[in-house]
Amino acid sequence: MSIRLTNIAKTFGRTKALEPLDLNIADGELVGLLGPSGSGKTTLLRIIAGLEQPDRASQGSIHFGERDVTQVHVRDRRIGFVFQHYALFRHMSVFDNVAFGLTALPRRERPSTGEIRTCVNRLLEMVRLEEFAKRYPAQLSGGQQQRVSLARAWHSNPTCYCWMSLLARWMPRCVRNSGAGCVICTTS
Amino acid sequence: MTLYSLLRRSAIASAITATLATGVAAPAFAADRELLNSSYDIARELFATVNPEFNAWWQDQHDESVEVKQSHGGSSKQARAIMQGLKADVVTYNQVTDVNVLAEQGLVAEDWQQQFPNNASPYYSTMAFLVREGNPKGIDSWDDLVEEDVELVFPNPKTSGNGRYTYLAAWAYADQEFDGDKDKIEEFMKKFLGNVKVFDTGGRGATTTFVERNIGDVLLSFESEVNNISKEYGEDDYDVVVPPVSILAEFPVAVVGKVAERNDNTDLARGYLEYLYTEEAQRLLAGFNYRVNDENVQKEFADQFPETELLRVEEVFGGWDQVMDNHFSSGGELDQLQRR
Amino acid sequence: MLFLLLPLIAIFAQAFAEGVAIFWNNLSDEYTLAAIGLTLLVTALTIPVNLVFGVFLAWLVTRFEFPGRRLLQTLIDIPFAVSPVVAGLVYLLLYGSSGWVGSWLDGYDIQLMFAWPGIVLVTIFVTCPFVARELIPLMQAQGALEEEAAVTLGASGWTIFRRVTLPNIKWALLYGVILTNARAVGEFGAVSVVSGSIRGETNTLPLHVELLYQDYNTVGAFTAAALLALIALFTLAAKAGLEWRATRREQFR
Repeated sequence: MSIRLTNIAKTFGRTKALEPLDLNIADGELVGLLGPSGSGKTTLLRIIAGLEQPDRASQGSIHFGERDVTQVHVRDRRIGFVFQHYALFRHMSVFDNVAFGLTALPRRERPSTGEIRTCVNRLLEMVRLEEFAKRYPAQLSGGQQQRVSLARAWHSNPTCYCWMSLLARWMPRCVRNSGAGCVICTTS
Repeated sequence: MTLYSLLRRSAIASAITATLATGVAAPAFAADRELLNSSYDIARELFATVNPEFNAWWQDQHDESVEVKQSHGGSSKQARAIMQGLKADVVTYNQVTDVNVLAEQGLVAEDWQQQFPNNASPYYSTMAFLVREGNPKGIDSWDDLVEEDVELVFPNPKTSGNGRYTYLAAWAYADQEFDGDKDKIEEFMKKFLGNVKVFDTGGRGATTTFVERNIGDVLLSFESEVNNISKEYGEDDYDVVVPPVSILAEFPVAVVGKVAERNDNTDLARGYLEYLYTEEAQRLLAGFNYRVNDENVQKEFADQFPETELLRVEEVFGGWDQVMDNHFSSGGELDQLQRR
Repeated sequence: MLFLLLPLIAIFAQAFAEGVAIFWNNLSDEYTLAAIGLTLLVTALTIPVNLVFGVFLAWLVTRFEFPGRRLLQTLIDIPFAVSPVVAGLVYLLLYGSSGWVGSWLDGYDIQLMFAWPGIVLVTIFVTCPFVARELIPLMQAQGALEEEAAVTLGASGWTIFRRVTLPNIKWALLYGVILTNARAVGEFGAVSVVSGSIRGETNTLPLHVELLYQDYNTVGAFTAAALLALIALFTLAAKAGLEWRATRREQFR
């Protein structure tokens, strides 16, 4: 799935976070955004995910493949988002965190408990955290939390990944195993 | 315990409590008819006794049971509540002014005082003194109260009907004593007010000050009150003194026409107030230390109520409107006397 | 410490001053029971309303940007700033028979003031900030990141609230409920204005205490007061229990 951004700009109050820009990411491409802090990398990723709206004035648009997703809600964009500080659900176990994307589905679409368990275990194996399934985020190291957030974002065959940190090791595996369109990540 | 189960439990508990509560709050029995009586603060015991008797009396005559609900509070507050929509069928107050206010608003008939005997006052009282055991300062009448070493306690006339009556009684006495000489009256009143140790907001406060804090030599209040206090706190510790001259304190009653009509209670409301004039009710009232007009009952209780000359507010002062304007309004007599 | 304990001890001492039998008599007096019942009813209705309202308000204010958000946050504090008596008077002004809303309701023979619905209304008003004020700083501090993560994972609004937001705020929520409960039970000023003091019908427990005291029934008054004190103690115990549990979890983590 390719991603095409046209004329995307973002202003917060009086601060211009993003000048109008165009960006084309081809299907299967891995893109890294480099820049000093405050350069708008996070904002751009959040706009792609739908967590921020681009300025109306510039009439920008976002396309996933042929589909115009500019007005599509976050939850329907199917982005695998990994936050800078992981944003794990602190009161849920590692297993429940990873399973969230599946358990949050409406009943009709939700796989059975057994299927969910299989899927989650597979994901945990992929990030080498099988033994930590019952632990809570506060009991994990930074690196382990990172892997959990990755597994969590991995679950539902997202259209593409947006990573707010460099998970270089996992990139090829990620793309290969999930068949996602592309990966964009940033470094600070 | 997950939050869910906790919330679910609380919801169930709330529902059960609410059901129980409405069950408990509901009347123990459903009477055929209901009446709401808006009354003054210290009349609780009185009506708690009168109401069941009235129910029996009415049931005899009309074959229906009646539940009389009571609302008690400061007289003026009660009147204001009725103006704001409290659906009381009858009022039984201790101040004429509060019924007049309702009449002005059309809630009570304009000629309400003529609707029942004795200016619509089934019972009345006067201002009396409560002194310490043995009456050490020899208090007999109003002129004893202005002596140098006598300390008085009574509620503030500004905030209390009770206090206002005391003030007016003292003035009426002075008026009679000094033949209307304004200067002499004012001098008397100044000394009188100057002897007051503490001005509480209400009758209850004044009682607490006198009895529990042991302040003052004399507590001035309604004769009925003074007798009740003495009974409550020990008749041996206090003496009741009724001065030979005092003021007539009426306890006006009236039907709240608008409400009674709406509730279809006009006959019941009138019946209730008329009942207060029957011999049996008058006997109950006398038992609570109120003076009554029924001759038989008067004879029965003659010992309890010493002879005293009772002056009417209308005769001495020209009416309640004048009283409020001249004496108790801002800058009126009371303010001036206290300022000097 | 003594300063706080002595009044409490005095209340119970006075309540039992004439013996246990009298104490029990006073407690089971029909008007006292009615007052207890009314207080329970009012509290049982107030808590769920303010719970929902408080959570909704906190959610609105901490998770969304909209013009007037700051104003809304200030408005929430109005019941705190206003004297309860004034609050009662305002309700009387609005819903009394000569009030703007009241006169309209009168036409339909609906009476809110001087009846239990009026008491519930003013109690809801004076207690409404508690839940919101507990939640807002917490939710602001926690930030919306977990909720954002949940929405990127495809969760619906209700699922996010139920599975992500609620578990994170549950102790603060409970604390807010406890405070609301305590205040609702003990409210005097506002209720006194709109109650009408109809014995057996519109007297809550605090009003009943005053009534008994005015009646020179000191022991009775203190009996009712002892009940209120008991509720206060229970509230404190629940609050302490919550705090202890919260710290324990922190250590565990």
